Amino acid sequence: MNDFDLVRKNLFRRKLRASLMIVSILIAFMIFGVLAGFYRAFTAGEDAAAADRMITVNKINFTQPMPIAYFNRVKAVEGVRQVTFANWFGGYYQDPKNFIMALAIEPNTYFDVYRSEIDVPPEQLQAFIRDRGSAVVGETLAQKWGWKIGDRIPLNSNIFSQKSGGHTWDLTIVGIAKGKAQHVDTNFLLFQYPYFDETRSFGKDTIGWMILQTTSPENNDRVAKTIDAMFANSTAETSTDTEKAFGKAFAAQFGNIALIVLLVVGAAFITILMIVGNTMALSIRERTREIGVLKTLGFSGPRILTMVLGESVLLALLGGIPGLAIAALIAMALRTSLANIAPAFAVSPTIALQGLALMIALGLITGIIPALNAMRLKIATALGRG
Amino acid sequence: MRSLWLQVAAATAINLKSISQRRWLSLSTVIAIALVVIVLLAFLAMANGFQRTIAGSGADDIAIVLRAGSQAEINSTVSRDQVRVIEDGPGIARGSDGKPLISPELYLVVDGIKRTTKTKANLPLRGIGEQGSELRKDVRITAGRMFNRGSNEVVVGKALLREFEGLDLGSTVSFGATRWTVVGVFEAGGSVFESEIWADLSVVQSLFNRNNIVQTVRARLTGPAALNELKSYSDNDPRLKLDVKSEASYFAEQASQTSDLIQKLGWPLAIAMALGAVAGALNTMYSSVAARATEIATLRAIGFGGFPAFVGTLAESLLLAVIGGLLGAAATYLIFDGLTASTLGGNFTQVVFDFKLSPWLIAEGVMLALIVGLIGGLFPALRAARLPIVEGLYAN
Repeated sequence: MNDFDLVRKNLFRRKLRASLMIVSILIAFMIFGVLAGFYRAFTAGEDAAAADRMITVNKINFTQPMPIAYFNRVKAVEGVRQVTFANWFGGYYQDPKNFIMALAIEPNTYFDVYRSEIDVPPEQLQAFIRDRGSAVVGETLAQKWGWKIGDRIPLNSNIFSQKSGGHTWDLTIVGIAKGKAQHVDTNFLLFQYPYFDETRSFGKDTIGWMILQTTSPENNDRVAKTIDAMFANSTAETSTDTEKAFGKAFAAQFGNIALIVLLVVGAAFITILMIVGNTMALSIRERTREIGVLKTLGFSGPRILTMVLGESVLLALLGGIPGLAIAALIAMALRTSLANIAPAFAVSPTIALQGLALMIALGLITGIIPALNAMRLKIATALGRG
Repeated sequence: MRSLWLQVAAATAINLKSISQRRWLSLSTVIAIALVVIVLLAFLAMANGFQRTIAGSGADDIAIVLRAGSQAEINSTVSRDQVRVIEDGPGIARGSDGKPLISPELYLVVDGIKRTTKTKANLPLRGIGEQGSELRKDVRITAGRMFNRGSNEVVVGKALLREFEGLDLGSTVSFGATRWTVVGVFEAGGSVFESEIWADLSVVQSLFNRNNIVQTVRARLTGPAALNELKSYSDNDPRLKLDVKSEASYFAEQASQTSDLIQKLGWPLAIAMALGAVAGALNTMYSSVAARATEIATLRAIGFGGFPAFVGTLAESLLLAVIGGLLGAAATYLIFDGLTASTLGGNFTQVVFDFKLSPWLIAEGVMLALIVGLIGGLFPALRAARLPIVEGLYAN
């Protein structure tokens, strides 16, 4: 029998107590996994933001339009590699409850600016550029509704109406866009701005926002200043910022999500820390005599310290690893229903590693005091007690 | 019968007095339950506060007219011609001068800076018609004055002023290239309107290039029942593809989405944590039974039944749960009640609201705590009741 067997046997000496502790640790790590995964997905836009990509919006607010003429003027600014634009459509499918993240986009440049994230096969892209009434649908959205290439779908808008009356645009799906990395959200529908602009009943020749790519992130500041100065004192002044800063500010509008996540995870961990810490202390106290016997047999203090710590770390791992695994399953199950708020909701390898580190920390913290006591225990006291 | 109750009382008293021997384990259970209750109540208080702010904003006798299918004011568009047709509709109250009491309104989103984070946030700028403020309950200017019609002046809601900077009375604010002077601060009975900036409709229309277009029309009805008249009038006119709703039901819909979401987050989290706390409580109570094995067996040996031992153990667990639940409720009240927060509402703009606990919510929190205590105490109590006497006497 080696030390590990002894640790394992000690841990499961009271099966019920060990199982209860494992369950409570499991729940704490499940909460941690789900919330950390949610938070990561919620702020994914920020992390995914390319350093050389910037967003130009109306200075009043990003929901305010700006003239389409700005597009060509920004294109000519030195340091801008590529620029494209988009307009919010307020889309829904069949019922207003079925929100669709739909954008009317500049067809020739949009996929170039997002080429490192979104992948559309070249022939599908060509078909999209050729056909004014066509649409490219992200993989997630296509799967959600079972849409295939060649399908003709009626897309409604809760904002715009057609010149001919009605709020429905019929679009043919000619391409399915795939994300190039796991964090890329493909819950979108993109269609041609020229078609949209010519058929809508109001707002003609205005666009929602521009996305531009600079020749190098070092030029970002200069490019932003040049663009905003160009339109200063006009009826539509602009505000240009990096995609990251823009995404961060937008996420902050929902409230301090980071703080809420931190508080809840913190509360769960404090609970577990106290319960497990106390129970460990109790179970070591019960074994005082045995520890005395081990010491008599020649087990050194540090060896006993390691064994007690090993027991508490093992306990944390036995609860924590399945907890994270359950969190991963929950994330998978909720991914589609949360696609609009937190796309690509998952327990990432980074979160798993952080979780592992937390488990070890939890094990060490809950075990350290009983372990120190056990190490310092004098044989005479131990054997004399009880 | 009487002797059974005496036994129960004695066993319970012994149980409760022995808590201090397990003070750390018991304390950790109390705190664990308190934390569960805090998490639950914080979410519920948030949802409740948000709900009250928005749902309290609407009146039954005000009709709100939006473009069909637009769901929120921000998406809606109503043309000037449609406004004229609505004006002539039935069921709309008229002022002493015979004019219909309506307010065509434009709802725009402008940037503001949040005081706490210094980040940009979406604020609503509402251009209101002449009757705009009379169509809302309890609107009162608390500082300064109302804006003058036709000038670049705004009045700012009290809640908005508290959460966002640069809107103080007398200051000039720029929305893009346009400049406005803040001439007044208003309150509106704690409703969502206190999170808005108001200005004259015609000035907003011209400075934001929205001539001939509004987004919604509000109308005072002759009574709540008149809504259906106006609705069928609108449905039967092919020029009006509009939704007519009572303002109360419009805001109820708006509130439900966000507060549902908050509750949907709060309950599963609290239940998951409660399961953890149940494990903790079970642990504590099993230790309690184990520590008192000799004691329980002694009582049994001198003629006590199993039932008093059962009740005693369960009572200990429930007591710990009640203390934890009340502690959690008190902590939530002290930390969160009245806390101001703001989030994006259904109109894509910030809604300022306060966390609000209610007696009913506190009851829900304490109930959850009791359930934890009940489950956590039940199985150890059964063990206590069934403990074989001889085994118990030699337990230590």
